[in-house]
Amino acid sequence: MSLLQPSRRDFLKAAGVVGGGLVLSVPLSARADLPPNISPGEGSYSHDAFIQIANDGRVHFYMPRSEMGQGVYSSLATLIAEELSTPPEDISVHLAQVHEAYAGPENGLQSTGGSASMRTFYAPLRQTAANAREAIALAAAEKLQVPRESLTLAGGRVVSGGQSYSFGDFAALANTRPIPEMAPLTPAGSFQFIGKERSRIDAGPKVDGTALFGIDVDFPGLKRAVLKRCPVAGGRVKSFDATAAGAMPGVLKVVQIDSGVAVVAERYWQARQAADQLEVSWEMPELVGLSTDKHLDELRQQLTEEKGDRSHKDGEGADGLDGASEIHTAEYSAPFLAHATMEPMNCAVKIEGDRAEVWTGTQIPQVIRGLVAVHAGLDEENVEAHPVFLGGGFGRRLYGDVVVDATQIARESGLPVQLVWSREDDMRNDLYRPASVVRLEARLDDDGKLNTLNVKRAGANAYPSVVDGALPTIMPMGLARWVGRRVYDVFEHLVVDPTSTEGLYEDYDAPNKEARHVTVDTGLPVGLWRSVGHSFNGFFKEGFIDELAHHAGQDPVEFRLRNSRNDERFAAVLRLAADKGNWGSPRVSGASQGVAVHTSFYTRVAQVAEVTVEEGQIKVHRITCAVDCGLAVSPDIVRAQMEGSIVYGLTAALYGSIDVEEGQVRQSNFHDYPMLRMAETPDIEVFIVDSDEKPTGVGEPGLPPTAPAVANAVFAATGQRLRSLPLQLAT
Amino acid sequence: MIQFTLNGEPVEADDAAETPLLWVIRDTFGLKGSKFGCGAGLCGACTVHLDGRPVRSCVMPLAAIAGREVTTIEGISPTGVYSAVQQAWIDGSVPQCGYCQSGQIMAATALLARNPAPTDADIDRAMQGNICRCGTYPRIRSAIREAAGSLNVGVSEYLPDSDRQKEAEL
Repeated sequence: MSLLQPSRRDFLKAAGVVGGGLVLSVPLSARADLPPNISPGEGSYSHDAFIQIANDGRVHFYMPRSEMGQGVYSSLATLIAEELSTPPEDISVHLAQVHEAYAGPENGLQSTGGSASMRTFYAPLRQTAANAREAIALAAAEKLQVPRESLTLAGGRVVSGGQSYSFGDFAALANTRPIPEMAPLTPAGSFQFIGKERSRIDAGPKVDGTALFGIDVDFPGLKRAVLKRCPVAGGRVKSFDATAAGAMPGVLKVVQIDSGVAVVAERYWQARQAADQLEVSWEMPELVGLSTDKHLDELRQQLTEEKGDRSHKDGEGADGLDGASEIHTAEYSAPFLAHATMEPMNCAVKIEGDRAEVWTGTQIPQVIRGLVAVHAGLDEENVEAHPVFLGGGFGRRLYGDVVVDATQIARESGLPVQLVWSREDDMRNDLYRPASVVRLEARLDDDGKLNTLNVKRAGANAYPSVVDGALPTIMPMGLARWVGRRVYDVFEHLVVDPTSTEGLYEDYDAPNKEARHVTVDTGLPVGLWRSVGHSFNGFFKEGFIDELAHHAGQDPVEFRLRNSRNDERFAAVLRLAADKGNWGSPRVSGASQGVAVHTSFYTRVAQVAEVTVEEGQIKVHRITCAVDCGLAVSPDIVRAQMEGSIVYGLTAALYGSIDVEEGQVRQSNFHDYPMLRMAETPDIEVFIVDSDEKPTGVGEPGLPPTAPAVANAVFAATGQRLRSLPLQLAT
Repeated sequence: MIQFTLNGEPVEADDAAETPLLWVIRDTFGLKGSKFGCGAGLCGACTVHLDGRPVRSCVMPLAAIAGREVTTIEGISPTGVYSAVQQAWIDGSVPQCGYCQSGQIMAATALLARNPAPTDADIDRAMQGNICRCGTYPRIRSAIREAAGSLNVGVSEYLPDSDRQKEAEL
């Protein structure tokens, strides 16, 4: 049995890194039970860049993706555990450094996003662990002079006859023999760890304060920096007066960089206090004319005036509306949103001679390394990017802006520095989820089936930001800036950014479908935000479908089922949520129910919300969630990701809005950009569809159904159809 | 120089008197378990115990803690309430990214030290100042219930001396 395509075999070969002294990673934390350095040492078996087996028998796993809470630390280790018959908690997991071996099997990048880690690593990691198991077993057979078939692996040991042996007894011998390829995988019926109820294995250092996040990095000589950026994104320094700031206690340097003026001091608070004393006058960018109220009006106007670019067409497309006796139309909108990771952006950079080191929580370590090299004027090979835990990612850490700033500050000051953003810096210098306005039109057949669905979105495109940020790492800066603009111009009107209309039209059957896009870019930095286009398009689509069900006089669940015959898994997850969520008879007395279902990143999620409305306030009591992510490798992590996505989605549904006035972001901290807190958190129950399909990701797909399920419940409770986020009842 | 007790040890800090305690703990004493989240007492990531009570160290000036007893996640007693809370957190797979969890645990232990059998409303009230962007609230609530249920030690075993005296005086 092999899960690997032929091309994947080459992936594993390319990943092979030979040598016992391989150093590709750092330990999880300063905990004593982990090796101080990572080299498992003399006599160890080095399988490839993912697995090493030390001479003491310990299995080391170099985990190739960023851990930002989504649980890859545990779930990817579970794959290794299964094939090596070693409990996950007995494996030493190391966050992998930057290395070509860790490039994504699908996109060739060492980056974490798109809910792709489990989906893309499921087959290759199982295969490489199976190969390592076979290598140890063959060496054991040779050394013990018994047939390979007489040996089994159990509990992290080799079992032969009545005896058991440490893997370490055979590591050195295995290292001298050819590495097996395509060893047989453990059959699903024999799984010990995959699909089983297990606790996550990174909880220990996260409950005693020892887990190392970027902001916790420290070493002798490291100075702290605070950066004053232009209050309007993209503004440049015209002039500045550092007299007062420079005289403040602890201040070592005041330096100008591309994005502003930085104070470097011995300690953070000294730098922060001094930065407040800086007098900077700014060259204001065009963005200074932006105000979000006007922006939404402009989006509405452009939706009407512009034909837009087509991103999808089935059947007759929008022409299917011609001659309809009735066309149902609605307009929905969503605001700009900040990511607001709990750990504010920060980055430490040390430049010494022709070498540099960087420490930062990032989803794109490969790009980070390149950015430091570019801005420090060094070769990429001479930059070491140290992996750390991420205090939340959600897409925010797909960008290297803080790394560019930190590198320039280190370069200009000649000091090793850690740049730490305040919450206000973080809130006001994000790459925001783009605001959107969408118009949806539909024609129903006489029997209430969807005949034509015509959708059009206006707003900025989020995806180019990722390319934009990475370009300087593959070409000179000036050229990168030039190419960045060229690329957009060249592709403008040819290709619609898939993230702009994703999730708006795919899920339901209709003989005629059309999706179009009108790009309106304000210049406010925009980026990928948990579940990306699905985060707003899921709300638009599921709100509108609910409206159509109402127009057709049908039950919202029944209507969705009738119109989703194309995907049995989609229908099944909806039925499961309706069943477990007691659709039709709310558990909470006096509550109203709403439902939503959405496919994103190949994972289907349905949710039933129970809501009451009192004195104009929406109270969410309960959310029942069903998810089909194929085989759930770590079921408890699947549940945790659904819970987390629901809370993240509720924050957006009930509170989230970034408003811009004269180019400046008005929100600054958690008092004016509030987060859901414990008392507002509903009871959440998650049900996982039993499946043996290939695993798909769970970090994002739980989010899109939440806002529409709540909005649809509010409609059921009040008759008010809320078509813009955050949800606010008319008073 | 301002003197106070940090995790049971007498210490002196040379930071300016208005420096928030959080930065004294992190920069001056190198204890990184207490986190910076908002700098305004809004998120609870920096929660430490001051004379046994939970406080937001990011808005607590150094001058205000002269002569007092500060306990951080690194210094909290490895017995009683704390170990029950820590174990419940691990058993319930509470943390996701983990960044806010030191603060959550400091708030939860302070709650359980005073109220070993909290109601859900007590839990909501005690934890309302702590934000978790990953959305671990349902698991935090369950873990606190779990820890409360498993507690088999007296409250006084946990409280620092200064606090025990105060409790005795009441």
